[in-house]
Amino acid sequence: MEFLTVSLLNGVIYGLLLFMVSAGLTLIFGMMGVLNFAHASFYMVGAYLAYTLQKFVGFTTAVLLSTVLVGLLGVIVERFFLRRVHKHGHAHELLLTFGLTFIIAELIKLFYGNFSVEYRVPEFLNFAAFQVFSTDYPFYRLLMGGVSLLVFGLIYLLLTRTRVGIVVRAAIHRPQMAEALGHNVPLVFMAVFGIGAALAGLAGALAGAFYTTNPNMALELGVIVFVVVVVGGLGSMAGAMIASLLIGLISSFAVGVDLSLASLLGLVGAGDWAQQMGGLMTLKVSSVAATIPFALMLLILLIRPSGLMGEKG
Amino acid sequence: MKLTKILLAMLLLALLVLPAILPPAMVNAAIQMLIAALFACAFNLLCGQGGMLSFGHAAYFGVGSFATLHAMSALNGQGLLPTPLLPLIGAMGGFICGLCAGWFATKRAGVYFSMITLALAELLHSLAPHLNTLFGGEAGISSMRAPAWGLDFGDATQVYYLTLGWVVLSIALLYAFTLTPMGRLTFALRENGHRLQFLGYNVHRLRVLVFALSAMFAGIAGGLQALNLESANYVLFDMRFSAEVVLNTYIGGVNVFLGPVLGAALMTFFGNAASDLTQSWLLYQGLLFVLVMMFMPSGLAGLVLCWSAQIRRRGWLAMVPAAFSALLSAGLLSLAVVFLIETLQRVFSQDYQALLMADQAWPAISLFGREWLPGALLTWATPLLLGVAGLLVLKLARRQWLRLLDDEPQVSAAALRPRLEGEQP
Amino acid sequence: MNDAILQLRDVHKSFGEAHIIRGAQLELRAGERHAVIGPNGAGKSTLFHLISGQLQPSSGQILLGAEAIQGYSPQHINHLGLSRSFQITNIFPGLSVFENLRIAVMRKHRMQYHFWRSIQRYPEVREQTEQLLEQVRLQDKQTVCAAELSYSEQRALEIGMTLACDPRVILLDEPMAGMSHEETDYALNLIREVTHGRSLLIVEHDMDVVFSLCDRISVLVYGEVIATGTPDQIRADRRVQEAYLGEEQCA
Repeated sequence: MEFLTVSLLNGVIYGLLLFMVSAGLTLIFGMMGVLNFAHASFYMVGAYLAYTLQKFVGFTTAVLLSTVLVGLLGVIVERFFLRRVHKHGHAHELLLTFGLTFIIAELIKLFYGNFSVEYRVPEFLNFAAFQVFSTDYPFYRLLMGGVSLLVFGLIYLLLTRTRVGIVVRAAIHRPQMAEALGHNVPLVFMAVFGIGAALAGLAGALAGAFYTTNPNMALELGVIVFVVVVVGGLGSMAGAMIASLLIGLISSFAVGVDLSLASLLGLVGAGDWAQQMGGLMTLKVSSVAATIPFALMLLILLIRPSGLMGEKG
Repeated sequence: MKLTKILLAMLLLALLVLPAILPPAMVNAAIQMLIAALFACAFNLLCGQGGMLSFGHAAYFGVGSFATLHAMSALNGQGLLPTPLLPLIGAMGGFICGLCAGWFATKRAGVYFSMITLALAELLHSLAPHLNTLFGGEAGISSMRAPAWGLDFGDATQVYYLTLGWVVLSIALLYAFTLTPMGRLTFALRENGHRLQFLGYNVHRLRVLVFALSAMFAGIAGGLQALNLESANYVLFDMRFSAEVVLNTYIGGVNVFLGPVLGAALMTFFGNAASDLTQSWLLYQGLLFVLVMMFMPSGLAGLVLCWSAQIRRRGWLAMVPAAFSALLSAGLLSLAVVFLIETLQRVFSQDYQALLMADQAWPAISLFGREWLPGALLTWATPLLLGVAGLLVLKLARRQWLRLLDDEPQVSAAALRPRLEGEQP
Repeated sequence: MNDAILQLRDVHKSFGEAHIIRGAQLELRAGERHAVIGPNGAGKSTLFHLISGQLQPSSGQILLGAEAIQGYSPQHINHLGLSRSFQITNIFPGLSVFENLRIAVMRKHRMQYHFWRSIQRYPEVREQTEQLLEQVRLQDKQTVCAAELSYSEQRALEIGMTLACDPRVILLDEPMAGMSHEETDYALNLIREVTHGRSLLIVEHDMDVVFSLCDRISVLVYGEVIATGTPDQIRADRRVQEAYLGEEQCA
């Protein structure tokens, strides 16, 4: 029971964190058709910047400042890099963002070294929120979840209730038409890219303190975020939310499940035989928890390539 | 064409006599270069020719490696086949794996295809350490090269010639493929897969076959690696190797057959040579890739072709000013960037940071045989000045190049005036 | 007795709420040249997509000869002898003109999986490609990259590729779109030559072309064929005049 509750809470919060990062990526993917490989790097840069700034201005300011700075980075990437290769096609843009990810990771290693840094949750936030059966549940986790929900709410309101939101949504679906109607679509692209990056930076600044902050975090999170975007569907916020929660929950639960094919077969009396076979048979779900999102992505790509909530075709 | 053939023959000759000239460490580096070149060429069959960008190609290289190692160990260490023929097992492993993976991946096109290949590679990467019999868990598997055909394959030279033989054969086969009907269809796949359906072709089947062939040759490269290193590890499936082949191929140039070979050879060579000199080699590689993507999309090979076309038109002498400026600006800019990055790298390195003491001037770092103080203006002014100089020379080079490209010679203004009736020209 | 080589029987196609084709009835007789005309948005291209296999009808039958082909893949339909061209030029832009046609020719010789012999060693492919080049009058441009051709040359290439597989039924989707007067005349003669002995279904807006080229015309309005007949019959048809041609001006 305790395992269920804790995993549920952890899963939901991890999912919400994933959403913060994938919201921006989904918007960019839907809007520009570019899968921004560098998006997870923004997450990483957010964490490292917050870590550096924290030494000078305190935690909260550091987090806010790093969010803004990463947003600016996103704007620069769009304006000076992506826009240049736009005419060569989507594959080219994809490759460019791929190269940028590479460079950002190497620069981080240059400045901070090839190992994790001591970025920790500050003391004033490091307490237990409540007790779940016999364990303390950290407040910081709830804070991360709360911020994500707040962000989701704000984006939703912005996109659906404001004029700016309507223009953005139009630019996502029909950029040429929106431009023909007189809207400054390149500015919209730049702004959406920047805000998406800022969100990823915010997620990094918050999560980096709780989880580890190391030069590999971009790659580790990056692939999962792609899975979320593909599973959730092009440009669909709701899809990104659902997919994030789904993957967050699956990852959380799978880590605690020590079952394997052998244990399943044990139910029908073939357990010993399966144990002897070894290999895939004795592979525990917990060991391969990391691979389940990929299997899910493959499944979706084959059955319903436009994602759970994406438009068809 | 004739010049190309002569150059290729010379290259082949140079490769043949290489072990006699170079020290053993360099021979090892040469083996790595050859393997990387074959891998990139195999990758380009899928990517540059077939138009399918795969982000997980290291999977087939790795499968080829492991398959070959198992074949090396089979039959109590005698090996399934004589040592020189073992890469065939790698080919088979790559082909079968490519067939299965390709069938899934090619069901979708564009970005989705790339993401599927990425997911498949990552899936393999996470599963491999858990599958002990196949991949040897975390430690990997190892074997020994068995003697065959009167050779003992004990030293690097013999391995070099074995690798050279396979790589030359494979690249020749890949080239011959581009001349066959199926090879021509591969290009059409890249150009317009949609139309091919309406011309009566089964596009999915074609894509799967091209994928499998590309994976097969990647498997050969992996097999050669297995013979060379006598071991393989799940780390082969890491994203880094898939990334590297993408970088090498595009830096070399996807539209020219030997482009990826050039890119991979250069990058591997510099990687080997530079890894002793600098810790930031990967950063340089990434920067070069981004620069190529932004300013030279046809890669280094494309650049070479462009210049040789101009040389044919204008002659060698006319090219000298532009070539000189281009090289000078490239040199200056590279120097500026390297200086800056190396300085930063030293200043931010752990060892250096440990030396820092509060309220004291930062100690000097050594670079290019001199000592530079981080606090001194010169340390930062030097790369800045070099960079500015490089940019100015670049502008000059651009102007010279554009002048070379002008088609017509200067027409006199008088000749351009409209003629009136009876006027003398 | 002219048998129908292509028939559409009560074909419907909807995209969600949008009911694009509503019970289309069409008959193409063997050896005839048949035009499909109608206002923009009537569903002419959709009809072609349905016949050629790009789309599947929501209901109804499409018969090629005696065989029902609705739901077949485009390549299967092509094998059965139907070939189509596209309204928006759909060639291989990075390949030469010769290569474009050769790719189209290769299919008939069933060599797409041949990887053991150079393509130069198939003289019949070269001959057929050169024949096609002459027919579409692009011999001088055979080494030119297809993307560098002029618009009408690209349209000619498009037609050439459609013919390469020696089809019995040809579908041409607005082949003259965007052409000048001279180019249209040239293309018209080309089409007349190459469709000799084959059955042609053509979508066109240029009424002069339609009336001079075609044996029969069908008029498609809002997804329905409202009239079928010879050019004179169509000109005189009241419903067609109201829906499409406009009131006749008496000379």
